[in-house]
Amino acid sequence: MNELLIEFLGGFTKTNQWSAILPEIMLGVLALALLGAEMALPKNKQTLIPRLAIWGQVIVLLVVIGCVGWCNVGESEYFSGLIIQNDMTQIMRAFFLVSSIVVCYLGQIYLSKQSLPKTEFYALVLIIAAAMMLLVQSANFVMLFVALETVTVAFYVLVAYSRTSQFSLESGLKYLILGALSSGILLFGIVLLYGIAGSPELMGSSRDSLNYNELANFITLNTNNLIGVDNMIVKIGALLVVAGICFKIGAVPFQIWVPDVYQGAPTPVTAYLAVASKAAGFIVLIQLLHGPFISLKEFLVPVLSVIAAATILFGNVAAVTQRNVKRLMGLSGIAHAGYLLVGVIASLYVPWAVYAVIFYLVTYLLATFAVFGVMSLAADADDANQELDHYENFARKRPFLGGVLVCGLGSLAGIPPLGGFIGKLFLFVAAFQAGLYGLLGISVLGVVISIYYYFGWIRECYFSAPSIEVVDDASCSATLADRILLGALVVATVVIGLLPAALPIIR
Amino acid sequence: MTVGLNAFILLAGLLFAIGMFGVILRKNTLVIYMSLELMLNGVILALVAFSRYNGTMDGNLFVFFIITVAAAEVALGLAIIVALFRLRQSVMVDQLTSLSR
Repeated sequence: MNELLIEFLGGFTKTNQWSAILPEIMLGVLALALLGAEMALPKNKQTLIPRLAIWGQVIVLLVVIGCVGWCNVGESEYFSGLIIQNDMTQIMRAFFLVSSIVVCYLGQIYLSKQSLPKTEFYALVLIIAAAMMLLVQSANFVMLFVALETVTVAFYVLVAYSRTSQFSLESGLKYLILGALSSGILLFGIVLLYGIAGSPELMGSSRDSLNYNELANFITLNTNNLIGVDNMIVKIGALLVVAGICFKIGAVPFQIWVPDVYQGAPTPVTAYLAVASKAAGFIVLIQLLHGPFISLKEFLVPVLSVIAAATILFGNVAAVTQRNVKRLMGLSGIAHAGYLLVGVIASLYVPWAVYAVIFYLVTYLLATFAVFGVMSLAADADDANQELDHYENFARKRPFLGGVLVCGLGSLAGIPPLGGFIGKLFLFVAAFQAGLYGLLGISVLGVVISIYYYFGWIRECYFSAPSIEVVDDASCSATLADRILLGALVVATVVIGLLPAALPIIR
Repeated sequence: MTVGLNAFILLAGLLFAIGMFGVILRKNTLVIYMSLELMLNGVILALVAFSRYNGTMDGNLFVFFIITVAAAEVALGLAIIVALFRLRQSVMVDQLTSLSR
């Protein structure tokens, strides 16, 4: 009896791989601990909660970097193929943690101006970070779906977080309807692929057809053998899955939600959507295109090329006439999604382009958070109403914030000494090596247009006619901690621009 | 009489298409919600049918995840609709235009 028990426990410890997702578990526990702390702490100690959230995440970040290793961990599979970890997922884990730390900090600034419940915000941000870390590691469609829905459902709450503002609620409703629609489309694609790849009558059919590798084997075996309906089903399935992902990254036929949601959502949530949610979508797209859909390259590349070209042109042209800065960031974010799509397409021909995409995402993170940090500090209580006109003489009133804004916008536009320039350069070199000359031309045209509206904002800050009275309102003064955070973002942008090798992604 | 796999998939596709057109064309948010559920039900029907005819359990298991997620989405969506109705006294999509400028 005893030996049986020992044998059973031995088998149990062998399959115990929970330590592989230790950072995610820590984040989940931290999120619950925050909710507990809100009940336990007295009213005057509630300010400890954001600090607990931020420093807790810093510890998790150290765990990710230290114990799990920064790079070159090789590829390892856990939970019988549900999760695969490799270099890219390790980098993205750190990426999501950094972005959730910054979002928690921006949330603290935002919530201090509103009368809203506070703790739930941090708990939801942490849960989203954990789910996105799982999302980029998933190697099975069930895992993908569950992680993706955890992210989106938590985002529905965050977008509609300001319950008393009709803008926030309206954008939450729009995001929810369109997000649920896109999830439905993604699911239908998954189901078609599951059905066809598991069909016992077809060659190479799999018992585990929701797994990426099994599906890739099936599609590779059958690309030339399938005829008629079966071939159609594989293609429609793949197309629906890609369409569902394109929704999340805001590529063109599915971009309608972006401006409205970005304007209505609280500013830190907009920043989170713009950086982390988009990055997760791109990593999932890369994994799908390099995994299950690698044999459908000839079919998917033309579709994605058209989407990329339309995305770049639409985002840039629509942003030119925009006066609301949150909508402006949303529309320019669509354009950035277009450049990144070019990189994703290039990565199917030149393998190092994957790292160009990640490098671009990192520079995009630094620059976007710098801009949104300034916006959070400059916004008044009415969060959705942030017009370009509010930035008249901004640099004269707030020289430090003005400087940060110029660096962030310059990096987004791709001005040479800053990180965004190197990021764009890598993407364009990758596109050139892959022979995507048409897309390259459209991207360069898009960058030229983008300089117009980014510099329009900078002009508003520095060169607008001095207004009658310069009101020195204390509400948007930057504290020391604000300065340290924004300064760090700017310094990182400049350092990456001058020494791209400082980032361990580039070897 | 046995019903073939194609009949199930056709019905599932039809449910999905009806739901999708409902989401795109209807103006009342509550009806849009029902249409979203219809889409998911189409997906679930297809999953169960494939699962039965392929002889694997994965599809049946996946259904539970989908139902759970759909329940969470509906709970959240109704909360948002109620909060919005308190502010605006309307649940029609064409009156939700405070953001588009």
